[in-house]
Amino acid sequence: MAEKTIVITRFDPDKDQAPRKQEYKVPCEPDWKVLDAVNFIKDELDGSVSHRWSCRMAVCGSCGMMVNGQPKLTCKTSINDYGDRIDIEPLANFPVVRDLVVELDGFMHKFESVKPWIVRAKEKAADKAALHATKGTYTQSAEQLATFKQFSMCINCMLCYSACPVVANEPEFLGPAAIALGHRYNMDSRDEGKAERNAIFRGEGTVFSCSYANECSEVCPKNVDPAAAVNQAKFEAVIDWAKNLVLPRGGA
Amino acid sequence: MGRPAHPHAMAPPKPGRTRTAPPQMPSTWWSAPRIRNYLLFDATGIVYYLISFLAIGMVQALGRGPGAWDAVMTRLQHPAYIAFHVLCLVSVVFVAIRFFSLFPKAQPKMIGPLKPPPASLIHVALYVVWFGITAVMTAVLAGVIF
Repeated sequence: MAEKTIVITRFDPDKDQAPRKQEYKVPCEPDWKVLDAVNFIKDELDGSVSHRWSCRMAVCGSCGMMVNGQPKLTCKTSINDYGDRIDIEPLANFPVVRDLVVELDGFMHKFESVKPWIVRAKEKAADKAALHATKGTYTQSAEQLATFKQFSMCINCMLCYSACPVVANEPEFLGPAAIALGHRYNMDSRDEGKAERNAIFRGEGTVFSCSYANECSEVCPKNVDPAAAVNQAKFEAVIDWAKNLVLPRGGA
Repeated sequence: MGRPAHPHAMAPPKPGRTRTAPPQMPSTWWSAPRIRNYLLFDATGIVYYLISFLAIGMVQALGRGPGAWDAVMTRLQHPAYIAFHVLCLVSVVFVAIRFFSLFPKAQPKMIGPLKPPPASLIHVALYVVWFGITAVMTAVLAGVIF
């Protein structure tokens, strides 16, 4: 067991004008994750500390925080990776509701705007017949699934938004996770909403705002590689533009 | 953290009922090694901006005649110009390496009915094209061809 100094950024909207730092001495077990230390503070030292967490196994995406200035999923980050002092702050680039809890509405709004669901032009008779025949959803081959599966592994932890230099400076930017998810549905063989999504993707503050810093992919705890999705969407936009330029009806 | 991000970064579409602290970013965001590389990548644009003036000046000298051109050639032998050209070369090599490393994953998963080639093949192709063009240009400038 080793004692570490955990410095948590506190903010109480009823009392504090601005966030402040508070130190805690925590006896850390060697197998602890950073989240265990925060939970220890909450349970044993100061019950007023507010933070989000749930599954403790890097699935729910709730416990994202800045650990020594880097966005981390704290349930996946070993306490042994750090020295005697660890600074824990709320996710960068987000308004802070309280202590380590950030405002999610902006993220959810961006997320929703890319239509992250399967869009069908209209329910077709063939679709209904297939649905009844297979007693399941629209069929898809393993090869078709492989084209987008990576982008469907996002757990909405928002670390990519915290790492992105464009998100920090351009409020209109849809951001890495939302674009990656929209791109995932664009690549889904069952989807017919590509034109609707591309109208959103190719407007102001969208894929072309990305400067390919690649930070989103570096910090992603699930190896979704959102920078790849954003830049693939960018590449496709350029190809479509070129097609529209040289081919009648864009080659459709 | 300590450095303010854009005050409306990740702001909700409608203001909530609770007062929130404004978004911040780490005060040392620029010093993280990966971000430093990204900033250097972008900063090379300044080098290209500067060398474009030099190139325009050289074209103008060419138009003014042999005397002006010889003067420019003499000036380019100054250590400051040589250092600037070395800086340009380093910038181009750095940008090419970073761009080539990120290029394969930006390829669409399918190009019509075709899959793009594997990343390793794209890497090799990019370097072969780069070195090939450089070799041809060197040969042209050295008077070996044309």
